[in-house]
Amino acid sequence: MGKKRKQSEAEIAADVKKEEIAPERPKRTLLGFKTNPENKRENETPGFRNKEKVLVTCSRRISYRYRHLMLNLVDLLPHCKKDNKVEAKESKGTALNELVELKSCSSCLFFECRKGKDLYLWMAKCPNGPSVKFLVNAVHTMEELKLTGNHLKGSRPILTFSSKFDEKPHWTLLKEMITQIFGIPKDHRKSKPYHDHVFVFSIADDHIWFRNYQISCPYNGSQKLDRGDLEKMTLIEVGPRFCLNPIKVFGGSFGGPTLYENPFYVSPNQIRSLEKRKMAGKYAKKVKAKTRRKMHELENPLEVDEFADMWKE
Amino acid sequence: MKIEEEKTMSNEATLNGMEMEDDDPEVSDSELESGEDEEDVKLTEPSKTAVYNKDGLLDKLGDISWPANVDWTHKLSVDIEQEQDVDVNDDLTRELAFYTQALEGARQAFVKFQSAGLPFLRPTDYYAEMVKSDSHMEKVKGRLLAEKRKAEEADERRKARDNKKLAKEVQTQKQKERTKQKKDEIESVKKWRKQRQQTGFPTVGKDDGDLSFAFEDGKSFERSSKKRPGVSPGDRSGGKARQGGGKGNKDFDRKKKDKDRKDSKFGFGGRKGLKKQNTAETTNDFRAFKSSFPSKKKQKSFDTN
Repeated sequence: MGKKRKQSEAEIAADVKKEEIAPERPKRTLLGFKTNPENKRENETPGFRNKEKVLVTCSRRISYRYRHLMLNLVDLLPHCKKDNKVEAKESKGTALNELVELKSCSSCLFFECRKGKDLYLWMAKCPNGPSVKFLVNAVHTMEELKLTGNHLKGSRPILTFSSKFDEKPHWTLLKEMITQIFGIPKDHRKSKPYHDHVFVFSIADDHIWFRNYQISCPYNGSQKLDRGDLEKMTLIEVGPRFCLNPIKVFGGSFGGPTLYENPFYVSPNQIRSLEKRKMAGKYAKKVKAKTRRKMHELENPLEVDEFADMWKE
Repeated sequence: MKIEEEKTMSNEATLNGMEMEDDDPEVSDSELESGEDEEDVKLTEPSKTAVYNKDGLLDKLGDISWPANVDWTHKLSVDIEQEQDVDVNDDLTRELAFYTQALEGARQAFVKFQSAGLPFLRPTDYYAEMVKSDSHMEKVKGRLLAEKRKAEEADERRKARDNKKLAKEVQTQKQKERTKQKKDEIESVKKWRKQRQQTGFPTVGKDDGDLSFAFEDGKSFERSSKKRPGVSPGDRSGGKARQGGGKGNKDFDRKKKDKDRKDSKFGFGGRKGLKKQNTAETTNDFRAFKSSFPSKKKQKSFDTN
């Protein structure tokens, strides 16, 4: 008798457990995940579908570090197409436009490396603009061991923007472009149905700073999260990191009329030449100082000292 | 320029210090590179010729933006209020600002997902390809573990050092106690003797029998003039200064003793001048003397013959 009762108890316990977990899992079909039709079609605009596709390329002679950054972004954006390196000539704009059209993409990220040290990032909406040219600073790739997070490949990120993006029209334009390029289209075939990382786009010192964090939440097996878990939510940085300094905004894609120009921008070449000039002036300055001293001494001769031979006798 | 470079380097260093020490050569190398970039010079005044076509920008924005009533699930974007400007050169506050922005965004997004009944985080039994490979994560883990170990070892070392210091203190305390005890005992015996004399205890013979102590006349604490072996004449501590409490194994002990003796003789510890002088003892010591004169030997052999 006792034995039997035990068994039934165990059964009940198992049932309870099952009920806890079971309803949370979305049904999987051959075509993807089935979601309830009633909560889907409610507030959706009919006919809108995000078909964004991003072409990602770089110029020739890109340094390994910047190439790794590009590959990191390729990993993060499942809706992108990577293409061969492009020669960064004056006519690269037309070549890139053709390439984008050929690949049937709607936007482009072009990493242009100059002198093996300066990285410029072109962010363009194709075919009729706008496009932005950034100078990229403070690059850290995902390979760095101190960035310890990890997340699903192809899960759609949550994009967070600081409120400064709404203050000026050029920031608003950049925000729109970033949401379209970095946001993964809903129901993209390579995307995953969960959201486990956050992108940060923040403006500090007139630069756009990018960070990527994994959301980690200590939760107990079941999918349901409650407020308590929300408090315990922590973030772990996954990388990459970079900082974009906007240089110019053009009306067309890779060209066209200039709509915005960063009034504070100094190109890295200018900075370097300035430093060199500062270094170069050193010797000339020394010689000049010497002659000046000599002239000064000649102009102001010392008065004759009347006590000079007082103790001579 | 040099100073500037150093400044950037230190800047980088603080950045590293903030998020664990960095000893990955590749990373630190490349960081210097980026540090070079990070030192961006801004024009102090905005240039007058800069183009700012507000209408054009807004026009373009209108061109590319999605219809206004697009569902949030398409965009997944969250705007976060940024209270004040962050100081870009202060790495800690800057990163903290980014972190709080991300956290706030994640929370808001969670609430939105929850209300829409959509899945949010990955369930624990959902396995799929990750952005970082397993081998890479292994490396990350190894690094974290190594760092932890390093910290633990450093901790242990520090503890040992502290203990050593404490032990020294305890030792001195003990020594003080011991001398005090000795003094007390002597004092008590003296007192007892005095009492005994006062009470008129009959003295037997000339001395007080067993109870005449050498220390009575205050000579007790003088060092005995007898020379100790292996102690140089200049060494006033009587060779005790060098004899630390060494509690090792036997071999080690012996070695140490040998070394000590040599040291006392040839340089370490004690005055040099007197140590190297001959004394009566050393002049009479013929142990080291080797009779290597052939004539003597011959004589000896002759004698035996």
